[in-house]
Amino acid sequence: MKERFKSTEVWVKIALLFVFGGFYAFAIPFPQDSRQFPQLLASISLVLTAIALGMDFVRRQVIEGVVGGVDDTELMVLDAATRRARRKRFYQAWTILLASTAAGFLGGFLLSTVFLFAGFGLAFGNRENRVRNTVVAVAMTVLVYVVFGRIMAVPLLDGVLW
Amino acid sequence: MDVIAQAVAFVFQWQNLAALAAGTIYGIIIGVLPGLGPSAGMALAIPLVMSWNPATALIFMGALYKCSNYGGSLTAILVNTPGDASNAATVLDGYPMCERGRGGVALGLSASAALVGGTIGMICLIFAAPFLADFALQFGPSEYFLTAILALSLIAAVVQGATIKGLMAAGLGLLLSTVGFDVIAGHLRYTFGWAPLEDGIPLIQALVGLFAVTQALVLAESAASISRIAKLSGSFWEGVRVYFRHPAIIVRSSVIGLFVGVLPAVGQSSAGLLAWADAKRASKHPETFGQGAPEGVLAPETATNACMPGDLVCTIALGVPGSVGAAVFLGVMIIFGIAPGPLAFVNKPEVIYSLFVALFLTSFLVFIVGMTVARRLAVVTLLPNNVIVPLILVVSLLGSFAIRNEMADVIISLAFGALGYVMLKGGFTPIPLLLGLVLGEMVETNYHRALLVSGGSYTIFYASFICKVLIALTVLSLIGPYLGPFWKTLTQGEK
Repeated sequence: MKERFKSTEVWVKIALLFVFGGFYAFAIPFPQDSRQFPQLLASISLVLTAIALGMDFVRRQVIEGVVGGVDDTELMVLDAATRRARRKRFYQAWTILLASTAAGFLGGFLLSTVFLFAGFGLAFGNRENRVRNTVVAVAMTVLVYVVFGRIMAVPLLDGVLW
Repeated sequence: MDVIAQAVAFVFQWQNLAALAAGTIYGIIIGVLPGLGPSAGMALAIPLVMSWNPATALIFMGALYKCSNYGGSLTAILVNTPGDASNAATVLDGYPMCERGRGGVALGLSASAALVGGTIGMICLIFAAPFLADFALQFGPSEYFLTAILALSLIAAVVQGATIKGLMAAGLGLLLSTVGFDVIAGHLRYTFGWAPLEDGIPLIQALVGLFAVTQALVLAESAASISRIAKLSGSFWEGVRVYFRHPAIIVRSSVIGLFVGVLPAVGQSSAGLLAWADAKRASKHPETFGQGAPEGVLAPETATNACMPGDLVCTIALGVPGSVGAAVFLGVMIIFGIAPGPLAFVNKPEVIYSLFVALFLTSFLVFIVGMTVARRLAVVTLLPNNVIVPLILVVSLLGSFAIRNEMADVIISLAFGALGYVMLKGGFTPIPLLLGLVLGEMVETNYHRALLVSGGSYTIFYASFICKVLIALTVLSLIGPYLGPFWKTLTQGEK
């Protein structure tokens, strides 16, 4: 039984049960015409998810995520150190993404551009390529500003701060 | 015929040829940028062409719209990020081909598909438009509802590999499409007071998140470049040769593309995915699909390129757009004073047929551009991840931001990026979810309309012959994947 809960697929299905349940429950106060379709869909999806989850637990063999060309199978055979390194890079990527979005809110999308290039260049690039990464970051930021900010008049510097 | 001859003469004027070339190049660039699909590209170009002659402006916009599909296929093949929903199916085999260092062959396949699929589609559009439009007019709300359900079932069954998981993803997509103002009662649903969701989940932002952000996150995890092989083997011309070795798939995919295109609101994404599913089913080696099978690139690309002209039939003749891009094109037509509908062919024949002739020529232009530039674009797969990841994120999130100039759209894209990543890690593909999101409004609207027509009776969903055929196909698509193994077990048991 414990083995089943080690599978990401099982956790995704459990999460989907809550999501579909939420869609059904939040639709209750809607008028009849508005809630009919989402509740019908949520009910069908809930039943399907419950069946899929039940099948995962009933099956004798260990769950094999049938992933169409995705990294899952590769991940399974990766050693623990590589997996840790991947996880670290994933968290770093999300930190950069969230920081750049926050910067965009404060100072406009152009700041997000700077944060994204600088963040990924520093966190993922080699030390010997630092100059090249900086040049790419500056060039791309200028290009984005000229093409979108000047020619297409997208307000890239509209933020909460100014 | 006189009208067509006049249209040819008009298109060959230098300013119209320049508009055609500019629209082609701009369209490919827009398509290459993940997230900036034809709709965003046309929206951004409107201020540029406002002062032009309406016919010239429509030639530019038509070329942009048609070529962005080819541009989108380049990123689908090279960086696993479709430029638009229409390229979603190309990702399935195009990217694995690229990972194996056969990016050049995949690009040759996609350029050939743009030439052949686009040409077949345009010939059919010019000469058979009235007949196709007549057939589409036979569809009522129940038929549209069932067509969308069939598309979702087929995709869920074939793309995912496990029907039930595909249906769950499609269900989630359909449910997400109910966010925002209810199309029937006008009631706000699931917005939790957040204004950016009132008009529903924006499709482009969701698309950017599900494909571009998810892909960027997957790439960020690994330290290498996209191509696992350090050089790009396989030439463009090899791709062209491989393409013409599959005439049966070309014909079938073109027919699928034309048929889906002429159905209002079903769109190019469905055409590509259906053609991919069809090619997989017909293949002697279906196990190679999703692993870099050339047929998995040529089928969806041919279908989407053939679909676009059919898509335009509904947009121009009926005023019913066949896709998000076509909806924007419809808006562009109205902006330039060309009222869509059957009368457009009577009132403005020179404009409409000039557009058709220009689109016909665009297929050849795309092939020339593909032949000369595409191979150079393949080098992008060899860029290190610390350069390509922020590049994908900046360009796609910028596309997301530029539509409404709101950072909230960036947040929506990031949320869908996280969702797509979790789904991938959980063994789900986001494609059925995307299709559910695209078709959601059409499904719900036609569900309610059908019930209104029948006075609340569900018999309307199996009343007509077309409905019965669609239901039979849906059931077959759902149980089909299980019939093969069942039959095998049965016959082996007898032995």
